[in-house]
Amino acid sequence: MSAIDDLPFDAVQAGVVLVIVALVYLFSPFYVSPAGFTFIFLEVGVLFLLYALILIGLNLQFGHTGLVNFGPVAFFAVGGYTAAMLTAVDPFKAVGLALPWPVGLVAAVLVAVALGALLGFSTLRLRDDFLAIVTLAVAEIIHGLIITFRDVTGGSVGLGNVPRPIAAPVGGGGGAELFATVLVLGALCVLAYGVFHRLSTAPYGRVLRAIRADEQVAATLGKRVFRYKLVVFVYGAAIAGLAGALLVFYNGAASAGFFTIDVTVIVWVGMLIGGAGNDRGVLAGLAIIMGFQLTTRFLNDVLPFITQDQFASVRLMLVGLLLMLIIKYRPEGLWGNARELGVES
Amino acid sequence: MEIPLAQELIFGLVIGSYIALGAIGFTLIYGLVNMINFAHGEFITIGAFVGFLAIAEGGLSLPVALLVVLVVTGVAGWAIARVTFEPMNDAGAVPLLLMSIGLGLVLRNGLRTVAGAERRHVPVPVETFRFDELGFFVTSQHLTIIGITLLAVLVLHLFLTRTMLGVAMRATADNEDLALVSGIDTRLIRNTVWVGASALAGIAGLMLAISQSANPNVGFGQLLLILTAAILGGAGSPYGAVAGAYLLGIGITVSVALLPSGLTALSSTMAFVVLIVVLLVRPGGLVNAEVRAS
Repeated sequence: MSAIDDLPFDAVQAGVVLVIVALVYLFSPFYVSPAGFTFIFLEVGVLFLLYALILIGLNLQFGHTGLVNFGPVAFFAVGGYTAAMLTAVDPFKAVGLALPWPVGLVAAVLVAVALGALLGFSTLRLRDDFLAIVTLAVAEIIHGLIITFRDVTGGSVGLGNVPRPIAAPVGGGGGAELFATVLVLGALCVLAYGVFHRLSTAPYGRVLRAIRADEQVAATLGKRVFRYKLVVFVYGAAIAGLAGALLVFYNGAASAGFFTIDVTVIVWVGMLIGGAGNDRGVLAGLAIIMGFQLTTRFLNDVLPFITQDQFASVRLMLVGLLLMLIIKYRPEGLWGNARELGVES
Repeated sequence: MEIPLAQELIFGLVIGSYIALGAIGFTLIYGLVNMINFAHGEFITIGAFVGFLAIAEGGLSLPVALLVVLVVTGVAGWAIARVTFEPMNDAGAVPLLLMSIGLGLVLRNGLRTVAGAERRHVPVPVETFRFDELGFFVTSQHLTIIGITLLAVLVLHLFLTRTMLGVAMRATADNEDLALVSGIDTRLIRNTVWVGASALAGIAGLMLAISQSANPNVGFGQLLLILTAAILGGAGSPYGAVAGAYLLGIGITVSVALLPSGLTALSSTMAFVVLIVVLLVRPGGLVNAEVRAS
């Protein structure tokens, strides 16, 4: 992996270039229309990139600062629904203000930040596991609220007629739209990774890791620990909110089914497999777990005598088992640093 | 002459009762084993299924089923904890938490795979006592649930204050190192807590199976309320948990009565509001437990 570190440019620069390239591609009259069999990989790819955005923020929160955020899907959902409700054009049985999509995007991030600040203020001075409880509880509550207030959010049916700013400029049907989305989101992902990676490799990151290792020592050295924790928590919330808005802009709709606890579990297991704190490792871990999910989906097609419902439960069981095994036998994951994480045996 | 909110009070006491049984166990684990057990809901679900099997399939009467549930869930919970949590007891709060989340996923989905997602109703004879002049009614189910919970709390109180094991448990909850030094067998205490907490969760499951139904999500659905009740009462204090649970239960039913009809499905928001307010104002809960980071 050190070969990548030796390149003469860093991820932020690469990300900016890629974003420009992607935008040029988007607005050019040329498009690439991929073959039909690749669609499923591209769709999973889009989901991977969105979850990767959430994971980048979560890794800064947990991998570097030690904040146990067990509800990143809460900010994902809040961002997504804010964007959807502000930009949808006359959706069926829900609120849609038909504002332009940039407004929705910015609002999504701001609302996620507000929620993050509220939660951060109430829990970051308390024990680590309290943050876990609260974030998990909030994620479940938000899921419940989305379904309950069905006249506002569309409930389990969902909120449609959301604009699709990436798909719209691309002519040429679903495949070309998918490809364009992957390109744009991929570029954004590289940029986000670059920004957060710069943060974590800078002295700022050292302070975060010091806070993770021992808050009292960091405080004794004059660092305002609560401030750092709050800001990092808000950064993670912001990027998750952004990812939520991008999800609804990709789907053209928001639905409660996109924002379940499964998102949290996948992102967390991906982070732990890869090694919390290793910026590239966690993305690889996410790829591993999502690859596992994709292959098991194919497996279900091969084994028709097991119902889909049962298969979904078995898959979740395996993920839970994997989580337990990692915590017990390899808590630093594949690429994490056991000493830094404080888990060496 | 109608007593205002009397019906809501009764429903609140019923809801509070099964939250209380779950919350006591949850908070005891938190105080003594120093971990947040996100799989606690699954112990409740196990109790619900054992109760269903005992009454619907085994044809046992309620008191006998209660004993069966108590023993089976207590032992099952202890065994599960012995295998998963005990070996990593000194790993720290966060790994234990993550482990319990994984365990919860495995148990919940395992039950779902084996038993299927349908709700199973437990046939129990119900009598209704109407007090129409006073404006409320009460069923024998309500009385049973509230009665069993109060009995459990009483037994727990006697155990914690009158038996050597119970006193040793309170000592360990207060200061584990000091308890060790005084010669208390903290491993025995921990084993006892696991058995006790699981047994209580089992009873809660039985209640839920009777009043709602037995299905793989029944325990997890209560977890949020249990969590809130435990924190409201003060993390680690069983008496606080009981008080918090009843307050929460009554709070939910009374607020449903007082809110305009479009907003009645707001019990989840209630829990959120209570949780956030408690954490902002008095994170130690009713008994003002010590929960700051250092």
